[in-house]
Amino acid sequence: MTTLWRKAIRDFWTERGRTVLVVLAIALGISAFASVLSSYAILTRELDRGYLETNPASAVLRVDRIDDDLVAAILQNPEVSDAEPRRTVTGQIKAGPVQWRNLTLFVVKDYGDIRVNKLEPEAGAWPPATGEILIERDAFQVAKAEIGDNVTVKTANGTQQQLLVSGGVHDVGQAQARMENIVYGYINLATLVQLGEEPYLDQLNILVRNNRFDEAHIERVAANVKALIERSGGRQVRRVDIPSPGKHPHSDLTGILLLAMSSFGLFVLLLSGILVVNLLTALMASQVRQIGVMKAIGGTRWQIARIYFGQALFLGIAAVLVSIPLGVIGSRALCNYLAMFLNFDLKSYAVPVWIYLLVAVVGVAAPLIAAAYPVWKGTGVPVRVALTDFGLSRTTFGAGAFDRLIARIGGTISPLVFAIRNSFRRRARLALTLLTLAAGGLFFLAALNVRASIINTLDRMFAARKFDLIVTLSRPYEWDRIRRAANDTQGVTHAEGWFMTDGSLDPETRFSVTALPLNTQLLDFEMLEGRFLQPGDTNALVINNTLASRSPAMRVGAAVTLRIGTTQSTWRIVGLAKEAYSPAIAYIPLDFIQQQQPGMVNNVRLSLAHNDFDSISIVKENLDRNLEQQGVRARGSSSKAETRFGFDQHMVMIYVFLIVMSVVVGSVGALGLMTTMSLNVLERRREMGVLRAIGATPRIVWLIVVVEGLVIGVLSWTIAALLAWPVSKALGNVLVRAMLKGGVDFVFEPWGLLIWLIVSISVSAAGSFIPAWKASRATVREALAYE
Amino acid sequence: MISLHQVSKKYETPAGVFSALTSIDLEIAGGEFVGVVGKSGSGKSTLLNMIAGIDRPSAGAVTVAGTPLHDFSENKLAAWRGRNVGFVFQFFQLLPTLTAAENVMLPMDFGKSFPVRERRKRAQALLERVGVGRHADKLPATLSGGEQQRVAIARALANEPPLVLADEPTGNLDSITAGDILDLFRNMATQGTTVVIATHEADIARVIDRRIEISDGSLVRGQ
Repeated sequence: MTTLWRKAIRDFWTERGRTVLVVLAIALGISAFASVLSSYAILTRELDRGYLETNPASAVLRVDRIDDDLVAAILQNPEVSDAEPRRTVTGQIKAGPVQWRNLTLFVVKDYGDIRVNKLEPEAGAWPPATGEILIERDAFQVAKAEIGDNVTVKTANGTQQQLLVSGGVHDVGQAQARMENIVYGYINLATLVQLGEEPYLDQLNILVRNNRFDEAHIERVAANVKALIERSGGRQVRRVDIPSPGKHPHSDLTGILLLAMSSFGLFVLLLSGILVVNLLTALMASQVRQIGVMKAIGGTRWQIARIYFGQALFLGIAAVLVSIPLGVIGSRALCNYLAMFLNFDLKSYAVPVWIYLLVAVVGVAAPLIAAAYPVWKGTGVPVRVALTDFGLSRTTFGAGAFDRLIARIGGTISPLVFAIRNSFRRRARLALTLLTLAAGGLFFLAALNVRASIINTLDRMFAARKFDLIVTLSRPYEWDRIRRAANDTQGVTHAEGWFMTDGSLDPETRFSVTALPLNTQLLDFEMLEGRFLQPGDTNALVINNTLASRSPAMRVGAAVTLRIGTTQSTWRIVGLAKEAYSPAIAYIPLDFIQQQQPGMVNNVRLSLAHNDFDSISIVKENLDRNLEQQGVRARGSSSKAETRFGFDQHMVMIYVFLIVMSVVVGSVGALGLMTTMSLNVLERRREMGVLRAIGATPRIVWLIVVVEGLVIGVLSWTIAALLAWPVSKALGNVLVRAMLKGGVDFVFEPWGLLIWLIVSISVSAAGSFIPAWKASRATVREALAYE
Repeated sequence: MISLHQVSKKYETPAGVFSALTSIDLEIAGGEFVGVVGKSGSGKSTLLNMIAGIDRPSAGAVTVAGTPLHDFSENKLAAWRGRNVGFVFQFFQLLPTLTAAENVMLPMDFGKSFPVRERRKRAQALLERVGVGRHADKLPATLSGGEQQRVAIARALANEPPLVLADEPTGNLDSITAGDILDLFRNMATQGTTVVIATHEADIARVIDRRIEISDGSLVRGQ
């Protein structure tokens, strides 16, 4: 090892406290980067692999009835490698005495021969016997049931029956049950008969033989199969769905989130690079005379620069060594969290080698790049200047206009004035420190603001819905019977019968249609344009913003010809309603439907006297009984609170991401402040000695340093507070739009400012405490002798 | 060996232009031991800096061993200095994180003047020569001022330079140690090394060959 390398290492050893801080800060940045990158690689691989292992259907065809002959005929098609019929039935389930939950029942003919959309047995019995139900593993908590419990199940057309929960399964392709607030159940055909439903299958899952990931090819094969089905025995294919080939339904969402996290990882890395700039700038400043000596005895600029680049290299290598295990731990935690969120199992946490290499390259290169300017500048100092340097306080405070402005900040407590002015002595370092600290604050405030804005958006959305409970009926029923049932139900203050159906502008523009009474009391939309429906309207239509974005033809004032149900008719769009995070919906007068089906509704909206969870449960139970007495069968129900819960669950990921982000950035900022304060103290050690020599007590010296830290903390808070509004708004819109296809109604969370002020002051005080303590402990002789 | 022709040096300072050297003409022969004497601020260090290529003249020409220094870039000057000049400072200026031997090896590392394996041996030999061989593995902070200056002299000799410049090398030492150090320089000159010492002490007459006196940036005696 040459003496140059020895110098590099020993210099760092003498500054080991600061070196550790900077290594930690860089390691934090690299760990965040490595965690996210590894998670991205692991999740995309495992998610798609786990999903592909289930043999997901290339296409799903909804047919009237499917029998074995039809399946055999389809399997004759050489382009189809497999076909398997199933049925999906909606209903309700309850485990306790009163609580009904929405249920999606999957009916499988032969559990011993599932070849498409495979299920994975998790616990208990497999397959389910007649009279038994298996529940998706994430749905147990929604159902409030356990294996061995008896649950009551009722389907749209059947009778209420007791089924035994005999086991749990994992259905990779389903969204997380707790987020959807729905129970997924699995039964056989005989159990379906017990539930009073007819034992037929109506959903055909097909697998294409070749080009499994070619959507156009799948479409062609599905069209051929559709034609074959429609040719055989007058069957009709109601719908053909082609899921994104080979991709888990949440794969894109996960990708967006991880992309956002990757950008954040890079940002943290950038911030930690700033610390390297600060450290090396200070190191170069403190070594200026040594640089002069080395030049005087024959060292060239590049030879000397290599020492300091070597130190930056050491910082990078040390940080990479620390951050790789941290990154692995972080990525496991992140993968586990997201896997839980997406309801799938990780079979391998193996991180591809290229990620280790990339992290190592980035980790080593980042400090070198950050060091480039301070090292090059520091080693460029002429020998004469370097040799006449006193090593300390070379800044010429007082020469500039800003210095004179700062100098006007007066006061009677001179140590405080001194501390305030000290903060501005190393302005480049101050700026970089403020940047890291302010970034932490900015992310924290953005996290709170985005959360508050999302809550505000949801509040406004739900405020427009004046109903507390929705009951979906199994088919259209006479409104009079439903009204009687509602009137007989204690706790119902108002009920309206609505009608839900489908509509389309053209084959590509399909949407839901809600027909409602013109004098409705249960909807009060914020109108973006035009007006809502009003008494007297006939062919008037109100669209929501999602529908408006689907087609340029859907605009207020336009006349559009729509197919609603089975009828084609012309409508005038009279209003555009704001409805966040909603599917495309058109609102029309109920009279239009009732011209064809007089007095009929298929959906009931109710406002209740009390909308707490228990009261709603009791109303649901009583209403259900009263509807049964009227001969009306409900298919499902959901309260506003349950719907809101589902939305809130979807937002948790965004909140968690933002909070984690602000904690990591804040930590880098705090490390940055500690480094800065310790450098400031180091550089002014002789000055501290002078202060002590002229009578300053150790406590005053301590106070000067702490106040200097506090000034930096408050300044960083001010910057974060000023930028918080525009940054939060932009970040909220970008994140929410990417994940949920909708913006946010921005609100500023004022408490955030106070909280971050307290955090800033605490971090600043903590960050400057140790340097201040060290400064106050140095003896006058040591301080004055320091070079 | 050393030739200065009409060398002037002016510095721009916030207080105005300061003239450190004015029209200096000087010739020093090879193997000569020259003492540059003058008061503090008289221009001694600036003159040495000109000879070492540490500073550039505002006007005039500096030629050392036939090399015109004013034409060189900073990097070329550094490399040239490494091979041709040994520099000794008043405050020793040893690198604090390197041992005595490592400080001596440093110019050899810069100049790549000796094979890597020989450098340590040579450093030890040089330290022995100046009387601090037993301190080879000690850090500078553990050595006395005199010992540090001996290490600094050994460092100046690391690449066997034909010219050694010393700026107040005894200014920070007691009189006995200062005498020992001056004897070391005398020995160097006797062995053929050109030695130029800047000092404000008058009692170096016993060791030097020629005395040059400088006052307010001008040579007043000994050209």
